[in-house]
Amino acid sequence: MTSAAGAYRSPFRKAWRRLDPRLALRLSLGVLTAIGGFLDVGAIATAGEAGARFRLGLVWAFVLGTVAIVVLLMMVGRFTAATGKPYAAAVREHLGFKFYLIPLTAEVVTNSVMLAAELGGVAIAMSMLTGASSALLFPLGAAAVLAMTWWAPFSWIEDGPAILGLVTLCFVVAVVVQGGPPPDTWSTLVRPDLQPGDLVHYLFLAAAILGAIISPYLIYFYSSGALEQGWTRRSLHLNQVTAVTGMSFGCLVAVGVVMTAAIALAPRHLEVTSLPQVSLTLVKPWARLGGYLFATSLLVTCFGAALEIALTLPFEIAQGFGWSSGKDKPKRRAMRFNLTILAVVVVAVAIGSTGVDPLQLALYASALTALILPCSIVPFLIVMNDRDYLGDQVNGRVANILTVGVVALASLVALVTLPLTLLSGGG
Amino acid sequence: MARTNGVMRNLLDGQLRGSDGVDIGRVADVEAEWDPDGRLVLRRLWCGPDALARRVSSRLARRLGSITRGRFDRSIPVEEIESIGDLVITLRGPSDRYEVGRSERWLAHRLTRLLPGARR
Repeated sequence: MTSAAGAYRSPFRKAWRRLDPRLALRLSLGVLTAIGGFLDVGAIATAGEAGARFRLGLVWAFVLGTVAIVVLLMMVGRFTAATGKPYAAAVREHLGFKFYLIPLTAEVVTNSVMLAAELGGVAIAMSMLTGASSALLFPLGAAAVLAMTWWAPFSWIEDGPAILGLVTLCFVVAVVVQGGPPPDTWSTLVRPDLQPGDLVHYLFLAAAILGAIISPYLIYFYSSGALEQGWTRRSLHLNQVTAVTGMSFGCLVAVGVVMTAAIALAPRHLEVTSLPQVSLTLVKPWARLGGYLFATSLLVTCFGAALEIALTLPFEIAQGFGWSSGKDKPKRRAMRFNLTILAVVVVAVAIGSTGVDPLQLALYASALTALILPCSIVPFLIVMNDRDYLGDQVNGRVANILTVGVVALASLVALVTLPLTLLSGGG
Repeated sequence: MARTNGVMRNLLDGQLRGSDGVDIGRVADVEAEWDPDGRLVLRRLWCGPDALARRVSSRLARRLGSITRGRFDRSIPVEEIESIGDLVITLRGPSDRYEVGRSERWLAHRLTRLLPGARR
């Protein structure tokens, strides 16, 4: 029986002991891809707004969210390697069809809205790069996402956008070249600077940040990816090390966005109401080049996240219903799975065509994710604590308490602030 | 081992897999019958929307049943089970021998020509 502390220390120790040059190469590649895969439109939108309004006052939420997603990814990796099953299948097998419908419905709703927001982000980024109208580019971006999910092999979808996503490190560089946030903002890190009437929005953003970082689709994607690549107990440690390191670096980038927003937007009391406004964070240090860098970062992260969501949801459905699924199988052998990809993108395009600004869509999708996080995470925790299923790989107490705590916090805060924010007409 | 374990735990919601390794669906319901000797004998494994709806609620099952009338439900006799292990039910024949998962072949047949890149 492993204690919780032992379970979390051992991956690092074992990987370190077995570190050879080839392994080091794979490790660094994995870390690079995880950095790129961390950010998405939800993270950029929440980070931009958080920095502009509350300076460093919400950095804690990014750190807390990152700790939670790291713990969850380590769990799901352990689960998939130990049982050779994807997570969605386990929920249905373990808890029955009726119960499986709960996380499934939660995932379908949040992921459809989030995918619409990502597609909107892709369109806005393309419009910033080309000058054409984003309404015109929206179907084009969606078609590109669909084409990529349709034709590209799984490894491209996993690694391609993620490696390109390294461009987002420019936010961290921007913080460094500007000499960090102004000295007087550091105090907001522990004592947020709240004006009267700000509390609801502050808490709403906190919930949205937690929802954006702890995205359940990432857990499913990670599980499906692990399965597609045939992880075993042997490969587990290495992959967990890369996930942890990569996610931590990803969090660094998100905090970079917060800091650049605190530097560029907060002093001018600029409220963030659309994604192009967030580009001012990089325009300040680098002028026009900064605008292009922001647009490229947005394009790559939204495109990558859109691919992940457009694949994850069909995987989840196919695994739950026991259909033949897999990105690298011949299409006619997994027709139901492939048609679900098509359907998911079509639904997201329909939501995106309603004309809601992608930034608002991303904020609400993130808060909604936070609200129904328990529906996705609680079934997972039940499975992770089943000794029949996992043997000695069950969760330790620390992992359980931490996950339940963060998920409950995110959900409660969203439950209180989401209706209030909707009633007051948004940010 | 699985032979002595519970039906609910090892059959219901289990993955149905053909002998060719292709997944065709999950067990939605199990049909059993009292034989003349008074023993309860498993007969068939059921898949399909009506069987699933019965798992959710009887009202949903009635509503859905009035539309589908069981036309989309398919079953596999238990004699076709080759082995049960770890919630994977492997069948004796290849996946295309069974009615379950027929929608996959139907879609493939109808749509392969229409969708680019699907013929691969």
